[in-house]
Amino acid sequence: MKKKVLLAGMSALLSLSLIACQSNSASNTEDGKDSKKQTLHVAALESAYGKDMWTKVIDAYEEANPNVNVKLTADKNLEEVISPNMKAGNYPDVVLLATGRKLALTETLIKDKALEDITDVFNKNVYGEDVKVKDKLVPGFTDTLATNPYNDGKTYMAPMFYSPTGLFYNAALLKEKGWEVPKTWDEMWALGDKAKAEGISLFTYPTTGYFDAFLYSLLLEAGGSDFYNKAMTYKDGIWESKEATKAFDIVGKLAKYTEPTTVANANDKDYKKNQQLILDNKALFMPNGTWVVGEMKDAPRADGFEWGMTALPAIEDSGDRYAFTFFEQMWIPAQAKNKDAAKDFLTFVYSDKAAAIFAEADAIQPIEGISKNLSGDNQLFYSIYDNGAKAGMGGFAATESVEGVSMADALFRTIDSIVSGDKTVKEWQDAVEKASDKLRAALK
Amino acid sequence: MSKTLEKRIFIFVCTVPALILLAIFMIVPTVEVFRMSLYKWGGFSNNKVFVGLDNFKILWGDINFIRSLQNSIVLIVFVTLITMVLAILFATLLTREKMKGNGFFRIIFYIPNILSIVVIAGIFSAVYDPATGLLNNLFALFNLDHLQKMWLGDQKIAIYSIGGALIWQAIGYYMVMYMASIANIPESFYEASALEGAGRIRQFFSITLPLIWNNIRTTLTFFIISTINLSFLLVQAMTGGGPDGATEVFLSYMYKQAYTNSSYGYGMAIGVVIFLFSFALSAIISRITNRDVLEY
Repeated sequence: MKKKVLLAGMSALLSLSLIACQSNSASNTEDGKDSKKQTLHVAALESAYGKDMWTKVIDAYEEANPNVNVKLTADKNLEEVISPNMKAGNYPDVVLLATGRKLALTETLIKDKALEDITDVFNKNVYGEDVKVKDKLVPGFTDTLATNPYNDGKTYMAPMFYSPTGLFYNAALLKEKGWEVPKTWDEMWALGDKAKAEGISLFTYPTTGYFDAFLYSLLLEAGGSDFYNKAMTYKDGIWESKEATKAFDIVGKLAKYTEPTTVANANDKDYKKNQQLILDNKALFMPNGTWVVGEMKDAPRADGFEWGMTALPAIEDSGDRYAFTFFEQMWIPAQAKNKDAAKDFLTFVYSDKAAAIFAEADAIQPIEGISKNLSGDNQLFYSIYDNGAKAGMGGFAATESVEGVSMADALFRTIDSIVSGDKTVKEWQDAVEKASDKLRAALK
Repeated sequence: MSKTLEKRIFIFVCTVPALILLAIFMIVPTVEVFRMSLYKWGGFSNNKVFVGLDNFKILWGDINFIRSLQNSIVLIVFVTLITMVLAILFATLLTREKMKGNGFFRIIFYIPNILSIVVIAGIFSAVYDPATGLLNNLFALFNLDHLQKMWLGDQKIAIYSIGGALIWQAIGYYMVMYMASIANIPESFYEASALEGAGRIRQFFSITLPLIWNNIRTTLTFFIISTINLSFLLVQAMTGGGPDGATEVFLSYMYKQAYTNSSYGYGMAIGVVIFLFSFALSAIISRITNRDVLEY
């Protein structure tokens, strides 16, 4: 009898402790904070630039603004850290997380209209300085779909670290062989034939995801920015137009020059093997961003290897050449609790002090005059626009979510099939137009 | 307090923790999946719109879903058949035959089962590597260059490459299960049949197989469930569904829709279909493999 009571008591205790667990965690967040100080929750993606710069910037901000206590969440998989809390209603106040990430958290919030309008931030003074934010920014960075996703002149995302993208290659190899960096696609094909004779493939890509900047630049070259904006806002028939066909055909031809093992390694696990092809002189060009230098810094490489980067070749002689610019975005969730404090912080990240800290970690913001102080590889990469290349910016317009339809899948992922020969360029083009049709109906 | 009442209270108190856990972590989420499949919802906002069975209608015409369903079925059939044949074969050899290194092989076959699926993904992407991989180099060694393939790059065989890894990791587990039931068969059956002149193959089909039939039936359900689950993990870690959706299985497609395409409700509709599919498949298989249990 005694034993039974004991057992019963134990199991009751166990079930109680389960319930106790729940309430504990909920109350934890409240205590331990000075009630006068405002707590600002900043969540930032820990990317190739590292976490240190965020700690430093936040220290600097807390020093400049003693009334604020900043809580930082920085993680490589930021989405997985903050989204469970967000679903439970605990939103961070400021988030640095770009669009184009695999889990597409930023896109989901855009689709749900769950971002705060931050247009007024750009007319505010930078925290602790007498300059307006918009006067510090390089012009053009707040005019695209990447910051104004609904195309209504209102800014929902602040442009942060930018990085030019383009074709990366081994400059030493080209010098050694006496090959010129191609300026037009015709020169590109000629180079491809020459390289083939020496057993080198013209092209490879890490994964099809890297074609976003590549195709955006190509579309800009084929049809100019007007055409590009039409494509990005899903205008009817735009993907079947003459200009788009040109871009599709170039990728179709490029597929024939692609290193044969590329597709087998073009996934998130093995993509570095494709990047290694460039380091090993087995392929000449790959689309990539400036982060690749840091990503591959410990990888073995051919003797005398030297990174080079070029804008996409022009379609016609003396045609425009584009190098797409990626930038990470910083935004305030509409359900954040301390929006005003968040906006103050948002101005602070453009201050000289913060910019210097970021630049030290190679994270370059679109602030006027900042690119002059760069060094090493970065100087070469960021000077790409001084050498005649035009900057492309902005991606697809935001739509309601459409079940089972993804432009990224239709436009980029299919390239694996083009390279492996499972689909024709025509099939690809038709599928993209079809996806575009479905998304147009869901435009915001 | 009467003895029966006391007993009832005791049973009640003992089962309550388990029941609460079951309710919170199994029943409520399952019901929730069914409920959410009727909504259009991005996953974050409070903006849930009831759309009835719309998600299922879209699903019916979604070619990508059909493809992922095909891939899953291919995997279930391919992995189950080959794993089962090999596992029974190895189990018979290791229990019935007196070979050198019996214990050693038992351990070797079981090791893959201890490894986490991410490690297996790592091993197999090294094995399948087109340039430096074990498989292609092995073929080169024996001058079988025409058999060299882009194992994960060729869309026609990529799904079977995934299947190969699944088979490799599953054999040990099922082998141990079959070994346990083969070891239970009385030795006298084999002795008697040997006296009557039955060879090893005859013994296998007339004694071993019928007597472990019930065990095989049970494992068939395991095959279905584990292939559905593990194929998702392996695909996620190895190919991400690529190239161009050639290795997408229905769970990875559901994940993609729910989390990266901001169509949470649609993802849940896929979840419902998977739920019903695996339930129905298990029931059908259990029904058609039903035989009288042989007593011994």
